[in-house]
This record gives sequence, C-alpha cells and structure tokens, in this order.
Amino acid sequence: MEKNQYELCVKVLKRLEKAGVLKDVILIGSWCIPFYKEYFAGIKYISAIKTRDVDFLIPNPHGIKVNVNIPELLKDLGFIIGYRGAKGYIKLEHPDLVVEFLSPEKGRGTDRPIPVPKLGVNAVALRFLSLLIDNVIKVKVEDFEVLLPHPANFALHKLIIFQRRFKEEKAIKDRNSAIEILKALINKGETNTIRRVFGSLLPKWQKKVIKGLEEAKEREILSLLSVGVSTK
Amino acid sequence: MGVIKGVLKEELENSIRMKSDYERELSKLPKGSLIKKKVKGHEYYYILLREKGKVKFIYKGKVSDEEIKKYREVKEYRAKYRKLLSQVKKQVRFLRSTLRGKESI
Repeated sequence: MEKNQYELCVKVLKRLEKAGVLKDVILIGSWCIPFYKEYFAGIKYISAIKTRDVDFLIPNPHGIKVNVNIPELLKDLGFIIGYRGAKGYIKLEHPDLVVEFLSPEKGRGTDRPIPVPKLGVNAVALRFLSLLIDNVIKVKVEDFEVLLPHPANFALHKLIIFQRRFKEEKAIKDRNSAIEILKALINKGETNTIRRVFGSLLPKWQKKVIKGLEEAKEREILSLLSVGVSTK
Repeated sequence: MGVIKGVLKEELENSIRMKSDYERELSKLPKGSLIKKKVKGHEYYYILLREKGKVKFIYKGKVSDEEIKKYREVKEYRAKYRKLLSQVKKQVRFLRSTLRGKESI
C-alpha cells in the first residue's frame, strides 16, 4: 500500500505541475516527511508515520492565475469529491490518498471554507500556517520540483500546533515528528537555521515552542534555542 | 491510546466516509451500458441493464458519437469506482479487525 500511495502522490504532483498549479501550492503535513529524505541525505533520519492526507497549502487563494479544475484533473485517477462538515469543506478522496487544501487564517478567522474558484476547490483556513510560507525549499521529485516548508519551519510549526490538538495521539505524533526533524537538522549542522527561524517568530509563538519542548523534555534543543533569544 | 492505534482509528473513520462517497458517485452514474446490434445490415443501439434480476434492453435507435463516448466513459468510471469501493471495503474490514481489542470501536 505504501508504494502505491507514494506512486499515486507523485502522479498527483505531476498532474498539478503539468497544469501549472504546483508552483502556487506548498506541500505540507505528514507527506512532507518522505520528500525531506533528499534534503537529509546521509543524515540519520527516520520517516514518521504518515496518514493518507496530502495537504496543500495555498498561500494566496485569490492570487491564482491559472484556471484548472483540480477535481476534474484528478478524476480519472479515481479521486472523488467528499464534502465534510456542515460548511462543506472539499476533500478529494481515493482509497490510498486524500487531498485537501489549506490556507492561512487571516484577521479574526472564519469557520467557513475559503473558495478557490480557479482551482474548483475550497480551502480550510487555519492559524499558524503563515509560518510554513515564510521559508520554503524546493525538492526535486522525478523531473519536477515541489515546494515544501523548510524543515525548521515545519518542525517549529508542529511544536506549536501539537498543543492545540484535541486527540492526544495526534498531538504525540506531531510532537515526535517535530523533534525528529529538529534533531536531523542539528545533525546536518543547521542549528543556526533553527535559531534564526525561532528568532523570527512572534514572542507568543516562541513561548508556545518553548512550552512544547519543555513538555517533551527536550533539554538539548531547548538549550540551543535559549542562546541569544529572549522569550520573555 | 497509542499513536498507531489513533492513526488507524482515524483512517477507519475516513474509510467509512469514503465508502459512502463512492457509493454516492456510483449511484449518480447513468444505469446500463450501451450496446450495438446489427439488424438486417443496419446498426441500432440499446441500453442494456438489469432490473430486479432481469436483463432488459431499451431501444435507443441511432446515437451520436458524443453519446457513445459518454457511455464509454460512464462504463470506465463504473468499473473504476467499483474497484475502488471494493478496496475501501477491504480497508474497513482490515482496520476494524486490527483495532478490535478490549476497547470498543
């Protein structure tokens, strides 16, 4: 199943790339982790448990230029539209993968999906996603490139959101993958990148990261972050 | 609850929802398939379908190329969705049996 999942994910990415959409979206969520393997080549790095959910972050839903109906684009692969919740969030479902679109929450926020008519979908607005847009890397997959949040941003974002999870097991999964990635970055000699990304966060967000690391009893990482960065 | 068990439980919920979504998509497809019959050198089209266990032919006469293409696509999607629905049902069975333990699911 895992091989099928990966192959299907690459097919989806390839179609989005051909349609000119891939440059407008960032792959986030647990599916980033297998694609970070290239970034961490030669570094001890364990791929965390991933679900079927492939999340695409649309940084600017109203700024998309191309007109591509994504449900139609993926229809012949067997994807169907699934509506979730009373507000009708769209998910594109396949037994091996579920594609979902997210967007950073702005202002006071909304519980309604953000329509993305140019792509024929809608996006779930969530807090803290701007952290994943600020620092993006490109990873080569076959003959095209995929945008991913920098692993430091990915990990610090996970450290913030795991504390907001309702389900404890999901929180543990997020926390573990964040720590795994931070350790891989330290082994890669990117301690300064972690510090720099941490330093660029709002003080409120920094406090949440510190709280998350304290909960996880990760003293080594805590000591790295506390050098030269005030969280008070 | 362990992390893996939590992930599996969530996947089970997703698969159950997905099952009803595939069933909905299948019910939305037009019933029957288009077949061609040759009568005295002339070609006529019929819709072949099963109703209450009985095979039924509905006369369509001559149909446009567009309609033929549409029915071909419908046939392909029906086969695809049935296959995927069967895959989802297998997932539900597998996840239920994996999760079955002391805790109720």
